[in-house]
Amino acid sequence: MNSDLVIKDLRVSVEDKEILKGVNLTVKAGTIHAIMGPNGSGKSTLAYTLMGHPGYTVTGGEVWYQGRNILELEPDERSKLGLFLAFQYPVAIPGVTVANFLRAAMNAHRAEEGKDPKETAIPMAQFRKQLREQMAALGIDESFARRYLNEGFSGGEKKRIEILQMAMLEPKMAIMDETDSGLDIDALKIVAQGVNTLYARHPEMGVLVITHYQRLLNYIKPHFVSVLMDGRIVREGGPELALELEEKGYDFLREEVASA
Amino acid sequence: MTMKTFPPLGEISDAMVIETSRAAGEPEWLTEQRAEAWRFFASAEPPYWRRTDLSKFKPEQVIAAADTAATSLYQEEDLADQGVAFTTLAQALRSHEALIRRYLGAAIEPTRHKFLALNAALWQDGVFLYVPKNVSVELPLTAVFSMPIPGGAIMPRNLIILDDGASVTFVEEYHSIAASDQAFAAPVTEIFLGNDSTLRFVAVQTWGEDVYHIGAQKARVGRGAALEWAAVNLGARVQHIEAETALEGDGSRVEWVAATFAADHQNLLTAPWLRHIGAKTEGHMDFKTVVKDQSYTTFDGMIKIEHQSRATVSRLEEHALHLSPKARSDSIPGLMIDTNDVAKAGHASTSGEVDEEQLFYMRSRGIPRDEAIHLIVMGFFEPVLDRIPNDALRQRIADMIEAKI
Ligand SMILES: Nc1ncnc2c1ncn2[C@@H]1O[C@H](COP(=O)(O)OP(=O)(O)OP(=O)(O)O)[C@@H](O)[C@H]1O
Ligand SMILES: [Mg+2]
Repeated sequence: MNSDLVIKDLRVSVEDKEILKGVNLTVKAGTIHAIMGPNGSGKSTLAYTLMGHPGYTVTGGEVWYQGRNILELEPDERSKLGLFLAFQYPVAIPGVTVANFLRAAMNAHRAEEGKDPKETAIPMAQFRKQLREQMAALGIDESFARRYLNEGFSGGEKKRIEILQMAMLEPKMAIMDETDSGLDIDALKIVAQGVNTLYARHPEMGVLVITHYQRLLNYIKPHFVSVLMDGRIVREGGPELALELEEKGYDFLREEVASA
Repeated sequence: MTMKTFPPLGEISDAMVIETSRAAGEPEWLTEQRAEAWRFFASAEPPYWRRTDLSKFKPEQVIAAADTAATSLYQEEDLADQGVAFTTLAQALRSHEALIRRYLGAAIEPTRHKFLALNAALWQDGVFLYVPKNVSVELPLTAVFSMPIPGGAIMPRNLIILDDGASVTFVEEYHSIAASDQAFAAPVTEIFLGNDSTLRFVAVQTWGEDVYHIGAQKARVGRGAALEWAAVNLGARVQHIEAETALEGDGSRVEWVAATFAADHQNLLTAPWLRHIGAKTEGHMDFKTVVKDQSYTTFDGMIKIEHQSRATVSRLEEHALHLSPKARSDSIPGLMIDTNDVAKAGHASTSGEVDEEQLFYMRSRGIPRDEAIHLIVMGFFEPVLDRIPNDALRQRIADMIEAKI
């Protein structure tokens, strides 16, 4: 079974407007792969589509992961297959505490067909311990466990909670959509360290990092960098590509694409 | 179980009401009150409520209990030596007649409609709670009302009196196992909060599926007193509850939350009124409704800021969640301001299906759709469940909600 995420000629529309116009991209298992690109180029659209957001209509192409075309799967099935999306704009769930939400998510992952969910559920003590440890590692105050998920959280707090969820669920293929935006420099380091720790623990894991800034890539070192512009991957390279973009901006690529 | 009952309502006479009261050894003033209320009931037309469907309800066939048969009281500590009275209203007539005479009917006018008069005429069940000056009761006191005979009727009359500085938690619960016969409940609860007293009041309605519940509740809140009111409405075929908080004393306040969940063909109406009368009164209402299947709910609320009130703070939130396209929830919020000195008055209202973005977010974490909806609904009601003081009751209500989703 192939643990690479293979995106083939993916076309996606939102409300009849084509946003992704044939994306080809492979995120290899065990690698960190950055996607950069100007505002509105389709990065979040790609992330949402990979996770199965119902508002995005796939009009063409395939996405292969673990031997399946995941475009045919429900979002929860994709999650159970090992996919994870850290949202650019996490959603608040009133009345559901961070702890209860995480427990429900973990138990959903542990559930097995034909088995009593009570049997497969994570023991309470083990869950609490794991949660406490991960929260401490990410510098999240313990009181957040009892707060309602993302309700009244600051931008930076939401991002940390996204990484907390990732650390607890231990995905095999993580997509991070601008997790660095809204983070101050200390928070950025802590979050990056969280990702690096998880990656070190699971070296077979793939990570797709969507970002605008080289700054994050100083802390989460990508093996590959791809540039998405106007719904297409227009350039692929190594970490040096990110530095080049930082220096020159996107305009030089725009000119290249236009003249090609 | 043998139980004393009245004949069907259609066959009761004045004389019978008077006789029953006298036979129970009730004071003459009460006998007269009952007779007068009965005459009103017998002559009044049934109320016409546009949103409460009484077309299949046959009041003349109702068989009411003629004895205290449906009231169960629970308390976890002995409170007698602190002067706290927690007993049936019938019993309390022997020990606290003067208080009862002063307060009975002093909040809710029996002639507002036919069924309130019926309650005033025939009540047998009901609780009397009196907490003396500056006495604080720690553990919650609970009154549970059940239907003593299938197809029967009960009309509990509850009188809750807190003297100045007193503090207590009181839970009233209407509960039955599903009985297929049409049954009827017409409870009335009157609450009086002395100056600087605190009441946490929890009202839970979990009747079986064929009960008609026509109830009224009113709290009169004295100076500096605080009322926390949590209502849960899950049961009954038809519910029509008129509830009122009157913030009479200066600086009095109420935190009022409610959770209503209707499914199948349930028709549940709540009409909460919040009246600001004193100066610097503060009211917050947060009413949550979930509808499913072909059910129908109504929120018929009113905030009234009266002429003499000043520097009032009032906020109403009401939200409805639709779990199926055929269900219907009506919201008719009203605001009447009769003063030009309002510090803050706000209203927020939403109604709609489960949010797709929330669902997607949860599903992206592996939580299946059905379970995500469960979590969202439980979370929606959480601010209300959070106020239920007793773990076992909270769990039971949570289980009932879960089962309904
Ligand atoms: N739900 C939607 N409705 C309408 N247009 C949408 C929707 N989602 C995305 N779009 C449009 O699709 C285009 C790509 O949006 P997307 O969010 O994918 O960009 P992005 O690369 O993530 O941008 P940013 O860097 O600002 O996050 C934009 O023009 C956007 O307005
Ligand atoms: Mg984006």
